[in-house]
Amino acid sequence: MNQGKEKNFVTRLGIAIGGVVNKFYSAGRETIDITIKSILPFMAFVSMILGIISASGIGNVIANTISPIASTLLGMLVISFICAIPFISPVLGPGAVIAQVVGTLLGAQIGMGNIPPQYALPALFAINAQVGADFVPVGLSLGEAEPETIELGVPAVLYSRVITGPIAVLIAYAASIGLY
Amino acid sequence: MEFIAGLANGFMELFKAGANTFSGWVVGIIPLVVILMTAVSSVIKLIGEERVYRVAQCATKNIITRYTILPILAVMFLGNPMSYTFGRFVDEKYKPAFYDANVSFLHPVTGLFPHANGGELFVYMGIAAGVSALGLSLGDLAVRYFLVGVVVILLRGIVTEKIYLYMCKKEGKEI
Repeated sequence: MNQGKEKNFVTRLGIAIGGVVNKFYSAGRETIDITIKSILPFMAFVSMILGIISASGIGNVIANTISPIASTLLGMLVISFICAIPFISPVLGPGAVIAQVVGTLLGAQIGMGNIPPQYALPALFAINAQVGADFVPVGLSLGEAEPETIELGVPAVLYSRVITGPIAVLIAYAASIGLY
Repeated sequence: MEFIAGLANGFMELFKAGANTFSGWVVGIIPLVVILMTAVSSVIKLIGEERVYRVAQCATKNIITRYTILPILAVMFLGNPMSYTFGRFVDEKYKPAFYDANVSFLHPVTGLFPHANGGELFVYMGIAAGVSALGLSLGDLAVRYFLVGVVVILLRGIVTEKIYLYMCKKEGKEI
């Protein structure tokens, strides 16, 4: 009787520990999957672009044209507004590829000192006013929305971005005071 | 002959710069991100989705929590793209606004919790790489990005909700 109980406890302990270890293991496997399937390919692609840009001298052109725009509040408001225009935003959206490439280019300019570092925070919102604008119908269906909701929901999100895109930059600009 | 050799060298230079960037990222960014992502996903798996669902259900009722707590939970626990499925907890008329809040949080979260959107890290990391190249610490930027993100998703949720309800009224749609 007593032995049966103990065995039972050991078995339960074993199963519990096995379950926990399994969770850690599957967390690790998912992480490595994401690293190999998404992070590394993106790093390869962006570092190739960055390398060509910096070695070929296009970098200087970018430094002279984009950096002055991206280092003023007005310039960043204009960037966010352009990204949020309802017929441009869905084109810029897919996979956040454009936002990621532009982010990396701006980061390189910040690193070279052409854009002051405290502009990093508003810039993060300026280049990303279009986030998910391409994905509204799919995202809404994943949330089990009715087709009628999707029909009006898509333009509602796109119009809203025209207002909230530039406001997000203003909020981020205010929040960046005292940063660096 | 020398000209061709010079051309070949120049051609290789073009890619050496890229190779340096790549190895810098692989060594500097990946180890930390891998460990952080593994740790956070383990904690999330240990907490379990059932418990998160219960909190999420409560968060849908109030306009503030609907566009702050709910998307934060969705993004942190399910990540991109499964976080959209939390839309099923909210009423039909709030779904577009919840989508907007949810998707807008997918990048601000990556500064502190890269596991939530591992495929799109470079919106933040690209800019952050420049800041760290100047020798400045990233903690402050990551925390502010997260907090401003929360304010922005609340704003986007409320504005999109109002616009959607206005459009429904104009179209004469029942809500």
